[in-house]
Amino acid sequence: MTRADYCAVLFATLLLPYLYINQWTGDEAGISAAIMNGSETTEISLAHDHTLEINGALGTSIIKIEDGKIRFVASPCLGKQCIHSGWLEHAGEFAACLPNRISVAVLGEEPRFDSINF
Amino acid sequence: MSEKPNSATATKNGITITTTAEDHLIAWLAALAIAIHIIESVLPSPLPGVKPGLANVITIAVFILYGWRTAVWVSMLRVLVGSILIGTFLSPTFMLSFSGAVASLIVLWLASRLPGEGLGPIGLCLITAMAHMFGQFYTAYLLFIPHDGLFKLLPLLMTAAVVFGIISGIIVRSMLLHLEKRKNNTTASATAQRNEQEE
Repeated sequence: MTRADYCAVLFATLLLPYLYINQWTGDEAGISAAIMNGSETTEISLAHDHTLEINGALGTSIIKIEDGKIRFVASPCLGKQCIHSGWLEHAGEFAACLPNRISVAVLGEEPRFDSINF
Repeated sequence: MSEKPNSATATKNGITITTTAEDHLIAWLAALAIAIHIIESVLPSPLPGVKPGLANVITIAVFILYGWRTAVWVSMLRVLVGSILIGTFLSPTFMLSFSGAVASLIVLWLASRLPGEGLGPIGLCLITAMAHMFGQFYTAYLLFIPHDGLFKLLPLLMTAAVVFGIISGIIVRSMLLHLEKRKNNTTASATAQRNEQEE
C-alpha cells in the first residue's frame, strides 16, 4: 500500500460516518399535513394540537395532531396499517388507510415529487 | 494516437479492416470484463445498486498495466456490450451503469495525474468504486427518483461501495503479483496473460 492508498482508505472511513450522521439524522420537521379523503385534499397546520374526525368510505377515522406530529388513532379498517404507521413528523412521511380512502402526508417547506415514471 | 491508425479498405471482395495489436489486447480484456459483468448481473442483490462490481477488477488491472486510455476502452466496451447481451441497453440500468463507469474513469484520470508513486491497486479500486456509486446515485436521483428520501440509501450504498472496493483492490493486487511471477518465469508477458485468461 502506498501513502496515497492510506489517504484513500482514511478518506473513505471518514466519509462513511459523515454520511450516516448527515443523512440519517436531522430531518426537516413537518410544517403542515395534507389529508386526502377520497379525491378531496385539505391542508392542515401541525402547529396546533387537536383531534380530527374524518368520515371516509367505510366510517370515521380519527387523526390526532400533537407537538407538530400527526397520526391515525382509530380507523374502521381491518389491517390497521395506518395506525401502525405511528407518529409522522418529518416532511415526506406518509400514512394511508386505503380501505377508508384516507391518507395523511406531512409537508415541509418545499413540496417535492414522490416519484417520476417514464 | 502513437500507433498506426486502424484503416478499413473497400475492395471488390468486400471490406477489409486491419487491426492493430492494441485492438486485440482491448478486445481480449473487454471480453473478460463483459463475462464478469454478465455473471454478476445474475447474482441476487439485497438493494438496487449494490453489486460486488468485480468487472472493475479488470478495469483497474488494465489501468495499471496499460494505462488510462486502454482502461477507458475496456470499461466502455464492457458497459455497452454487456448491456446489449443482458438486454438492458438504453434502459435505466444501462444509464446507471454507464454514468457509474464514466464517473470512475474521470476519477481514474485524476488519479493518474497524482504526483509521486500515486495510488496502488487498493486505493484505485476504492476510489473508483466510490466514484461509481456516486455517479450512479446522482443519475438515479436526477433522472429517475428525484425524491430526497433517496439520500437515506446513500450511506448504505457507500458502505457497500467501500467494502467491495477494498475487496476488489485486494483481488487486483494478488492478480498483479501473480502476473509478475509468471512474467519472470516466461519472457513473453503477453503469452503469460493469455494463459491466465484461459485458465
